Amino acid sequence: MLTLTQPPSTRRLRWLLALPKFGIILLLIAVIALLWLLQQNENEEDRAALIKDVLWLEQNMRFHLNSNEEQLQQLANDLGSGKEVKRMFRLRAGHLLKNTPEISQILWFDARRNVVDALPAATIPDGEIESFGPAVTQKAFEHAHRLGKRIYSEPFFLSGNAAHFEIAVPIYVDRAFVGVLIAVYPLDTLLGNQVPWWFAEKYRVTIVDENDIQYAAKSNIEGKPGLSYDIPFEPPGYGLKFHVTRYESNNNPLQRLLAIAIIVLATGVFWSLWLVRDLMKKRSHAEEALRAEHAFRTAMEDSLTVGMRARDLTGRVIYVNPAFCKMTGFSSEELVDRQPPMPYWVPEQMDETFALHQAVLEGKAPVDGFEITFMRKNGEHFNALVYEAKLIDGKGQHTGWMASILDITERKHAEELARQQQEQLQFTARLVTMGEMASTLAHELNQPLAAIASYNTGCLNLLENSECSVQEIKPALEKIGTQAQRAGRIIRRVHDFVKKSEPKRAPCRLEDVIEDCLGFIEADARKRQVRIECTLPALPMIPADRLMLEQVLLNLIRNGMDAMSKMEEQYRLLHISVQLLENELKISVIDQGCGIAPDILDKLFAGLFATDPGGLGVGFAICRSIIEFHRGRLWAEDNRQSSSGTGTIFNFTLPLESA
Amino acid sequence: MNTPKVHLVDDDEAIRDALSWLLKSRGIPSCTYDSAENFLAAWTPQLRGCIVLDMRMTGMSGHDCFDQLLARGSQLPVIFLTGHGDVPLAVSTLKKGAFDFFEKPLNDNELVTRITEAMAQNAQQQAVNATVDSVNSRISKLTAREKQIMEQVLAGKFNKIIADELNISMRTVEVHRANLFDKMQVKTAVELANLLKPGR
Repeated sequence: MLTLTQPPSTRRLRWLLALPKFGIILLLIAVIALLWLLQQNENEEDRAALIKDVLWLEQNMRFHLNSNEEQLQQLANDLGSGKEVKRMFRLRAGHLLKNTPEISQILWFDARRNVVDALPAATIPDGEIESFGPAVTQKAFEHAHRLGKRIYSEPFFLSGNAAHFEIAVPIYVDRAFVGVLIAVYPLDTLLGNQVPWWFAEKYRVTIVDENDIQYAAKSNIEGKPGLSYDIPFEPPGYGLKFHVTRYESNNNPLQRLLAIAIIVLATGVFWSLWLVRDLMKKRSHAEEALRAEHAFRTAMEDSLTVGMRARDLTGRVIYVNPAFCKMTGFSSEELVDRQPPMPYWVPEQMDETFALHQAVLEGKAPVDGFEITFMRKNGEHFNALVYEAKLIDGKGQHTGWMASILDITERKHAEELARQQQEQLQFTARLVTMGEMASTLAHELNQPLAAIASYNTGCLNLLENSECSVQEIKPALEKIGTQAQRAGRIIRRVHDFVKKSEPKRAPCRLEDVIEDCLGFIEADARKRQVRIECTLPALPMIPADRLMLEQVLLNLIRNGMDAMSKMEEQYRLLHISVQLLENELKISVIDQGCGIAPDILDKLFAGLFATDPGGLGVGFAICRSIIEFHRGRLWAEDNRQSSSGTGTIFNFTLPLESA
Repeated sequence: MNTPKVHLVDDDEAIRDALSWLLKSRGIPSCTYDSAENFLAAWTPQLRGCIVLDMRMTGMSGHDCFDQLLARGSQLPVIFLTGHGDVPLAVSTLKKGAFDFFEKPLNDNELVTRITEAMAQNAQQQAVNATVDSVNSRISKLTAREKQIMEQVLAGKFNKIIADELNISMRTVEVHRANLFDKMQVKTAVELANLLKPGR
């Protein structure tokens, strides 16, 4: 017997399926976290670099301004003490301007706020050198004068929207205030000179105040702003600050590509996993269905009462079901793998059985099964009905023969019983028929008896007369003999009819059967004033049970006469016709009686159905079973040619050859 | 022309043959018919003898045949032959005037005896019939007055009273009476009364 290996349970399978999924999710999380950390790290580094760079810038700026401051202070000190100061201013200021390009102009004011000198003079901010300049300058002057120290001015805008700031350095001569030295820084120039190129490549540097008003900017790059950092621009102070913005550069395409690749791959893995899961699910379903099917089949096979036996092409038994084991009494182990002769074959019929076995293997088994006798393990014989069918495997290949075997012993027994009952019934029906005809038969028998008696009396009368001659008496005696034979024939016919005999189909002449029937029925017909006509062609002998046919004919004739009992005398004609067809005889009993209603016509042969209230009703059913025993057919139809307008034809056929 | 004989009506040839042979053995003539229809076709009022009729036959039954014969005024005695179970029918035919019935198989000599009796009865009947016929022919020769006078005489009246009632003379009555007696071939009034009794 086939058994499937027990597959892992669905739960376990689900777990197995879940594990890689889980792993992949974790891996993905780890990769994403790593990427994120890297990014984070990078950002952190970027920020650190930014801060470092910004701090450096601020330092650098402060250093420059301080250094300029020192030089201006030196100049201021020198201006306070020296002689020929004007020339020295020109010399020193020119030198200073040359060395520090971020200073656009140096102005020298006296204590009365007049411009003593300015370098370069042509570019004096806020108009004339004589005038004091903008308010911011004045304010810075004031502060420097009052506080006696270097003061940075607020930033201010000059023509061309360029932002500037100034530094005012007071000039003292022996502690007396004599003037102020002012240096002007354009912020643009400051940034342009002091922010190095590599810085500008990386960052955008702007100088803004607290209100984010931009004063100056320097950058060599364009793009999306990223990280930024602010640092106060002091000096000059006044809320100014450097705003350094780092620009995103497509600096790491490889990394990005990697990230995208990882995501795409992860998606791919997920998708394939999903596919695998789907497939597994389907497989699992299929397996489950297969197992259910298998269980169902097994249950079905086990519950079957029909024996199943499979053999391969060599005739070796490869499978038997429990019903077959039960039937034969052998166990499955005893039968499987057996080669013929099988243990359940009947020893006396070994040759026939083997021939049949060979026929099956050659594919010549009868399609509608065959009967065979098998033997149980306990030696008991039983009749089996075997149907053979090809065994086709999954690839459509013929691999053997599957037989279903029915134990028909019981059925045969039942059939035999039914047959016996049928016979009994037929016999009873014949007795009943005889009983019904008893009066007519008695009359029939009376006729020859009466004749005999008359002849006898006549003879005696003659003998009393001594003159009588033998010649006178002899014919009477002969006639007595004839009449006695006639009486004997009647009695023999009755005896034959009610004699209990096994039904057998022997060659007989239908003419004789009909003649016998008419002999029976004649008296009855006379009494009922029914004429009976016969159309008989030359007929061959047919295999039939004469008595049974007689019974059928008698039944049909009597039925026809019954049907005509209420008709006028001229219509009381019963016609019996026999037609010789190709391979059968068709016998028709045609009456011109009252006919049969269509609804009754159908159930006429069903048994226990009588058209006449006095009848037993089994007549037609018996007729049918008799005709079917002869492998013929019995049916009724309307007599459309009847001269009375109504009537019925009962037809039955008898095969010419015994099948 | 119509000698008395037994008319055998039976559809069974053997029965016909046996019975006619039996009758022949007793010297009784017979003729046979194989059906009621054939017999009725051959029937004439002049037939003499008796009928032996089978009750159950192909075609018309014996009973129906008997009815036909009665309707035709046949006076032939009928003896029925019946089978088993036909007795009630036979009895009803007896009531209608059948002579006798016999159940088959029969005691043949008894049948023959009854047949001879039936034939004798028929012969007697024929004799009576002959008398009636002659009286009737005599009456037919009477004149109207003579018939009048005969009725008065049969009533037992004297000539004088008859003359008074008919309003004729006594002498006329006597002449008519003499003619009447002459024509009726009687000598006395009593004789006349005897002659007319069975016919009337």
